[in-house]
Amino acid sequence: MIGHSEKAAQFLKDENRADWHDQTLWMVRQKRDRAAWSVPEWEDLREEASQIKNHALSNLDNYLLQFEEKVIGNGATIHWASDAQEFNDLILRIIQKNGAKKIVKSKSMLTEECGLNPFLEKNGLEVVDTDLGERIIQFRNEPPSHIVLPAIHLKKEEIGELFEEKLKTAKGNSDPQYLTAAARSHLREKFLAADVAITGVNFAIADTGTVVVCTNEGNADMGVHAAKIQIHCMGIEKIIPGTNELAVFTRMLARSATGQPITTYTSHYREPKAGGQMHVVIVDNGRSKLLGNETYRNSLKCIRCGACMNTCPVYRRSGGHSYNYVIPGPIGSILGPDSDINKFKDLPFVSTLCGSCTNVCPVKINIHDLLYDWRQEISEKKLLPLSKRYLMKITGIVLAHNTVYNLSGKVARWAIRNLSGELIYHRINVWGRERELPEVPRESFKQWYRKNTLERRSVNEQG
Amino acid sequence: MSRDNILKTIRQNKPEFTPLPKYLEVTDPKPRRELLEIFEKSLNQVGAEFIELSLNEEIDSYLSFHFPEVHQIGKNGFRDEYSANCSKEKLDQIDTIILEGHLGVAENGAIWLDDSDFPNRLVPFVAQMVIISLDSAKILSNMTEAYHKLNMAGTGFGVFISGPSKTADIEQSLVYGAHGPKSLLVVIY
Ligand code: SF4
Repeated sequence: MIGHSEKAAQFLKDENRADWHDQTLWMVRQKRDRAAWSVPEWEDLREEASQIKNHALSNLDNYLLQFEEKVIGNGATIHWASDAQEFNDLILRIIQKNGAKKIVKSKSMLTEECGLNPFLEKNGLEVVDTDLGERIIQFRNEPPSHIVLPAIHLKKEEIGELFEEKLKTAKGNSDPQYLTAAARSHLREKFLAADVAITGVNFAIADTGTVVVCTNEGNADMGVHAAKIQIHCMGIEKIIPGTNELAVFTRMLARSATGQPITTYTSHYREPKAGGQMHVVIVDNGRSKLLGNETYRNSLKCIRCGACMNTCPVYRRSGGHSYNYVIPGPIGSILGPDSDINKFKDLPFVSTLCGSCTNVCPVKINIHDLLYDWRQEISEKKLLPLSKRYLMKITGIVLAHNTVYNLSGKVARWAIRNLSGELIYHRINVWGRERELPEVPRESFKQWYRKNTLERRSVNEQG
Repeated sequence: MSRDNILKTIRQNKPEFTPLPKYLEVTDPKPRRELLEIFEKSLNQVGAEFIELSLNEEIDSYLSFHFPEVHQIGKNGFRDEYSANCSKEKLDQIDTIILEGHLGVAENGAIWLDDSDFPNRLVPFVAQMVIISLDSAKILSNMTEAYHKLNMAGTGFGVFISGPSKTADIEQSLVYGAHGPKSLLVVIY
């Protein structure tokens, strides 16, 4: 399989696009900052959110049972699925039992994770993703490149051409207003014709059996209220105790995600509509196992806001598709290896460990620590490619021994000054690509420090 | 059975019990005028329009002057016409609808509506334009205060609406009217 670095290299070939991607996501990050700073108690909220999630995970079985009881009492149906296969079968059964053919879906990373769309399509059903960004990538047969902004890797001209082909829009018109209007009328037809609406879940409230879904477009509601059957799909970790907790999260989610004070629609579904059916599907798919892992269980606190992606210097400059895993960016680089360590062993190394992700995370997941932990584990398991393993070994020796370290510093300073560029920017040295080495100082920091402190000390003593 | 297996694994694997946090003080004793100002600033930010009117008659004459054809809950048999069984095609024809908001939230311009406010749940989403009237005495400071006021256990469906339907999925350019209402007008009295 092609790893992150190869895919990132492809992404970077189009320099303009890569710059645009970088700057646009940085703009979203800045909007997040402004939104967070507008709430004086922001840091307290982060602490509360973190503790709420810790608490909910520590009492998860009881909350799920309480939730189940309420959902049933509300006249809705609850289902449980251990893995992706069972989940997909279960959804198919609900659809087939009702003789339904047309399905509209609003955004749900869980259904992406389980591969629901291709599964339903294989069974002869029409599944239409209704979030504009999701519809765009569905037309292109691509996975989302971001969990909140699924089509952020595309330029409007590409979307214009795509809509020209799929929706018969005017040739050469790539005005976002115009294209959105075209999608609006196309999707309205789909909403009105749908038999079943599937949504993800942002929060599930244990003490009332309510599921909460947040969208800006209103597509979850258009689908849910127009179709006879509504199906809400949630991972087990979406449970929170009650509305006190919901208040904390609705204050943080959109501010962290896009810098809005709240999403346009925060919808609370508790009972089915008159004459309709409401199904809630609880999915495990590896989560209960992850809960038992003391190191990585923190990643289950994630509320999928995307802030860690927007801030990540590597994500911004390599694009979501480079990660291969369904959830890209820093948090995906923790969840990916958990789902399949061999397939995603390179992801924890796709980070500078700068810690920016940890700083913005609304539920205070120690993301960069967990990435570091994965690196340790992957190195110990000897899953790294040979070149990286030897390099790390040598680095380890150098850093551990004072004389070796001093000597190698001297050699490096001499080498960079005196060797030809050809040698330094050699193909084997991937770090030489796209990088100019800085001018090297004559002395090492250690030498400089010794000299300066000694000099200063003597000045002080004299003075 | 999957349910029991999942619960069993969770029971084995869950971390040691930790309590819920102590929450911040929820009541914000801001004067009404100040809350209204913050609320209006938020409405601006989320792309909603608003107008302040004082008397009931003023609201009626304003609306009938500017929106003569508009549907208003409780008027002209709207509830019967657009009931829960109403066809989707008919609902799709609604142009402008006026609804009464339960409460507003200053920090984000969100307004709460639920099943008691519309006969069919599709109404506030399918209309091309939505007008929400709101009593300025019902504006609260933040989401915590708002949820304290709401009875979630008695709400079949409820929604916070903050501005018109919007998307920025094409190159982050903000466009109103992604699926639902292209504009939202809040009439504050
Ligand atoms: S890890 Fe934190 S910052 Fe990243 S998506 Fe999840 S909640 Fe948001």
